Amino acid sequence: MSEQVKIKKIRLEDMLNNNVWDVDPRPHITVDTGKCKDCEYKPCIRLCPVGCYVLHGDDVLFSYEGCVECGTCRVVCPEEAITWEYPRSGRGIHFRFS
Amino acid sequence: MQHKFDVIVIGAGPAGSSAAYNLAKAGFNVLVIERGRKPGAKSMFGGRVYKAPVEKAFDDLDKAPIHRWVVKERISMVYDEEALTIEYDGRGRHSFTTYLTDLSSWMADKAVSAGAKLVTEVVVDKLLIEDGWVKGIVSGDEKLYADVVVDAEGINRLVLERSGLVEKLRPEHVALGFKEVLKLSKEDVNKFFGLDDDEGLAWVFMGEYTDGLPGGGFLYTNKDSVSLGLVIYLGHAVKELERHVYDLIERVRLSRIFNKYFRDARVMEYSAHMIPADIKALRPKRLVYNGLVIAGDAGGFLLNLGYTYRGVDFAAYTGYLAAKAISEASGDYSLESLSKYERYIDESFVGQDLKRFSGVHDLYENRRLFKEYPMLAINMMRRLFNLEYESTRFKDAFNESRKGVVGLTTLLKDLWGVYRKL
Ligand SMILES: Cc1cc2nc3c(=O)[nH]c(=O)nc-3n(C[C@H](O)[C@H](O)[C@H](O)COP(=O)(O)OP(=O)(O)OC[C@H]3O[C@@H](n4cnc5c(N)ncnc54)[C@H](O)[C@@H]3O)c2cc1C
Ligand code: SF4
Ligand code: SF4
Repeated sequence: MSEQVKIKKIRLEDMLNNNVWDVDPRPHITVDTGKCKDCEYKPCIRLCPVGCYVLHGDDVLFSYEGCVECGTCRVVCPEEAITWEYPRSGRGIHFRFS
Repeated sequence: MQHKFDVIVIGAGPAGSSAAYNLAKAGFNVLVIERGRKPGAKSMFGGRVYKAPVEKAFDDLDKAPIHRWVVKERISMVYDEEALTIEYDGRGRHSFTTYLTDLSSWMADKAVSAGAKLVTEVVVDKLLIEDGWVKGIVSGDEKLYADVVVDAEGINRLVLERSGLVEKLRPEHVALGFKEVLKLSKEDVNKFFGLDDDEGLAWVFMGEYTDGLPGGGFLYTNKDSVSLGLVIYLGHAVKELERHVYDLIERVRLSRIFNKYFRDARVMEYSAHMIPADIKALRPKRLVYNGLVIAGDAGGFLLNLGYTYRGVDFAAYTGYLAAKAISEASGDYSLESLSKYERYIDESFVGQDLKRFSGVHDLYENRRLFKEYPMLAINMMRRLFNLEYESTRFKDAFNESRKGVVGLTTLLKDLWGVYRKL
């Protein structure tokens, strides 16, 4: 057998470069991050599939731009910290091959 | 635009377009409202659709964007980068692979060509309810009226929730599905998976890829791409999943078992969506109200047997039944009159399947299925096949692999459970 070609992990940012969005200038999701302090497991950070939630020190940082509108964060958040709407006017993610 | 319709359909997914198509064909003045830029733009699924129910709902299915007809089924248990796989290589052709983005567009086109009106880029906020009747929908400052509304908004059912008809989704009621669509040449898809040009493979796997948590993985072959994804039940993942879900799917792609297919692959898309999981809990108290019918994922109509998913065909079929009940109501859209729909559902294969398989969800609570059993299976295969001098008796391979992993009575009990519930 010849030497195997090793394929490499793709960084999430690079993975997301394959998607198409028309980002709404107004965020469709807002997070009251004050409530995150009391949140023991912070599930949004591991379960948002596109990494919209990141931990910076003890703080949760949220950015809505890469959101694929799956609704997971809203469902798993135990503190009701998330205000969640669909983007208006056809904005947001535009899937083509899924 | 005229502001009163016979029927307003919320969502141009398989359920909504099926209802709209069949109602428009029957002469109803139908408006479909879709939030995406076009139907399918917000759609995502695993990859395989069962033909028969969809063919009942839509004519000319042969013109649909069908990628490959599934002839091969694989089911694998994975542990320590090794897999034990059952393969069924059949004549198949009962189901096909596709992109839901394309199939949803095609279904919506069918509805439009039958006479339904479609507006896109509009989000429905809630139902317009007056005096105990659903009178239409509200979107921003606008109200649109209809004699009857079909809610086919999918599993993230904010409209039903905001109208007070269902509770907010809880983690234990749903799963998260996410996938990478990977571009290969058609020839490579054929060669790698042993397929002819229009033949497809549906492959599901369980075990270490979900870190032992309830869920599993899938690989579907499209014409010249592969959909590779994972499903993870949120109930347990909230507390127990220790890494980011994206790391889980990347581990699959890079694993010893799968990476050989993807050396020359290019990523086309990365997508995610929720899936109904606890069907009993998700079923709304009623599937109809005065002036309202609920179809598709919004009603919790999805069957996950572990080795196959049925959501698109269930959605299309429940949309078809919604249209049938509405057509037969001859203008009386009261709860009593529309409750025929609930009967149609319960008598149909959808209702029957969901009833017969109602115990399957409990199996997902049995963690051994995702951790201990894949481990036992692989260890047993190792003992049987990775021989040097002496050969191994089956019973020794079995007992040695089982020891310290799972007790014999537990194993028998679990086997019985699977046998009884599947
Ligand atoms: C990862 C994954 C794998 C799956 N695998 C399979 C599989 O292999 N086979 C299978 O048969 N099924 C599968 N399913 C299930 C299948 O995708 C669903 O059951 C099916 O799409 C349900 O159809 P629907 O029409 O009810 O809802 P959806 O397809 O979700 O359509 C709902 C539509 O309504 C629109 N909408 C929602 N809210 C609003 C609003 N407020 N205003 C306006 N428009 C709105 C949405 O944009 C969307 O177009 C899978 C699902 C997932 C997530
Ligand atoms: S789950 Fe909710 S409360 Fe917890 S960290 Fe995330 S946003 Fe904050
Ligand atoms: S909706 Fe889904 S993709 Fe968007 S932020 Fe929430 S979890 Fe992430």
